[in-house]
Amino acid sequence: MSIDALRRRRTARVVDAAVWGVPAITVAALAWLLADVVWHGAGQIDLAFLTTAPRSAGRAGGIAPMLVSTAIVVAIAVAVALPLAVGTAVLLVEVLPPSASAGRWIRRSLDILAGMPSIVFGLFGNLVFCTMLGMGFSLLSGGLTLACMVLPILMRAAEESLRGVPDGCRRGALALGMPRHRAITAVILPCGMPGIIDGLTLGVGRAMAETAALVFTSGYVDRMPSALTDSGRTLAVHVFDLSMNVTGGDRWAYATALVLIGLLLVTAGLLSLASRFLQRKGAHKP
Amino acid sequence: MPLRRTLVAALTAACLFPPLAGAAETAKLTVTGASTLAPLVSEIAHRFENANPGVRIDVQTGGSSRGVADVRRGIADIGMVSRVLKPDEDDLTVNIVARDGVGMIVNTANPVDPLSRDQVIGIYTGRITNWSQIGGPDRPITVVNKAEGRSTLDIFLEHVQLKPTDVKAHIVIGDNEQGVKVVAGNPWAIGYVSIGTAEYHAQAGTPVRLMALGPVVATTGNVANGTYGAARPLNLVTAKPPEGVAARFIAYSQSPAVHDLIHDQYFVPAPR
Repeated sequence: MSIDALRRRRTARVVDAAVWGVPAITVAALAWLLADVVWHGAGQIDLAFLTTAPRSAGRAGGIAPMLVSTAIVVAIAVAVALPLAVGTAVLLVEVLPPSASAGRWIRRSLDILAGMPSIVFGLFGNLVFCTMLGMGFSLLSGGLTLACMVLPILMRAAEESLRGVPDGCRRGALALGMPRHRAITAVILPCGMPGIIDGLTLGVGRAMAETAALVFTSGYVDRMPSALTDSGRTLAVHVFDLSMNVTGGDRWAYATALVLIGLLLVTAGLLSLASRFLQRKGAHKP
Repeated sequence: MPLRRTLVAALTAACLFPPLAGAAETAKLTVTGASTLAPLVSEIAHRFENANPGVRIDVQTGGSSRGVADVRRGIADIGMVSRVLKPDEDDLTVNIVARDGVGMIVNTANPVDPLSRDQVIGIYTGRITNWSQIGGPDRPITVVNKAEGRSTLDIFLEHVQLKPTDVKAHIVIGDNEQGVKVVAGNPWAIGYVSIGTAEYHAQAGTPVRLMALGPVVATTGNVANGTYGAARPLNLVTAKPPEGVAARFIAYSQSPAVHDLIHDQYFVPAPR
């Protein structure tokens, strides 16, 4: 074998190693993180932890109020942001011509919004929702602040997804005599739904994990909320408080973080199931 | 004017019999400020709510300065401030609830005692790296520092007049418990923790020894009476002298009824 061939083979091996090594590092980082949280947190978790209120600043009792607050805040955020995002995406892709300057402006401003540090959203939400609109520290303020934060993520995903819908679908729908709005709701949106749901998974993940935007809006109160106008502490804020402000709170912070990660995985799983279901339903449509 | 007279009579009665007026009240207090104090005040609030049905106390965080600003703007009834008030904040009424002090800890196997402030600065800036340089055995020093954002880090840095970037640490830790564990497991490590935590562990038999940061002996007693320097007050402030539920809540926070909660947070109750 020539030296040249040997060298080529060695190069190939190095490239092979790199190609497999880089993704291995990515997976290892996730595995390490998960193992760390499971190792430190799993011991505290039982049914009582999930169903009772915290005591002793979170070092006893459970996280039931935080679970409820998190669910409410994220639900408000999605309920407000999703229609806005899909509506904007339809406007950009289906209504406006691709070269329209309005579209460019909308896209540009959403990109800036997406790059904004979350503490800025927190201060904005505190000023606008809590103070100016008089909602005070409340789940409503928190949910609306999160809605502003996840809007660009949802919008971008919806836009990309609608752009990916083959033009044949549009033409076909119009050729069948469907009015434009019917083509959008019956053909284009169902085709784009998997992409929209992918964006939703990202957005919900970001919303669930948020602390900085929520400390100043939905707040710190660890009581079970009884109204949308009540202040309520989310899981992520609870983790932050336990690890930064409560001596001896680290184990409980890990346990809460583990529940949060579990919740994220379950949500992502459910959304992916929903996506598959919708696709199948869409396929059967005449 | 019979209406006015009735009102005056009712108000007088309310003032004369505050317990009666208090029994039927429904009130909401908003408390904002230092995140160091927030867990403690939340716990005190839960206990106060249980003892006073109808009262609701919402505790929010955001830092001492926010507590001061919110009380001034009337957004909050009570502010939490975890430092001495500045001269331009003398318009506020200050009520101390507890104190938080920081002491140095070393392993009980370490014979070096005492440590001067300059020696502590030398150790934490990397000028002194071996215990033999300050009269101990020939062993390298393991410097344990607190993570950014910890209140004990702030007290420590303020007391030794160092910037966070001046510190050359080998181990960076989170809470007090972790600091005690590291020093208990490493005979040649040095760290600093809340004095309440260190005293608890020294009495519980953990091999750590508490040393003063400054001339006064590091005891919770000296933190409580204010003679120990590396400490700070944990205050509840109001814009005007407190009245009604706010006054009762503050008085409750300063009463022995919550001393166990203060100890649970490793703070020291302050005498009134």
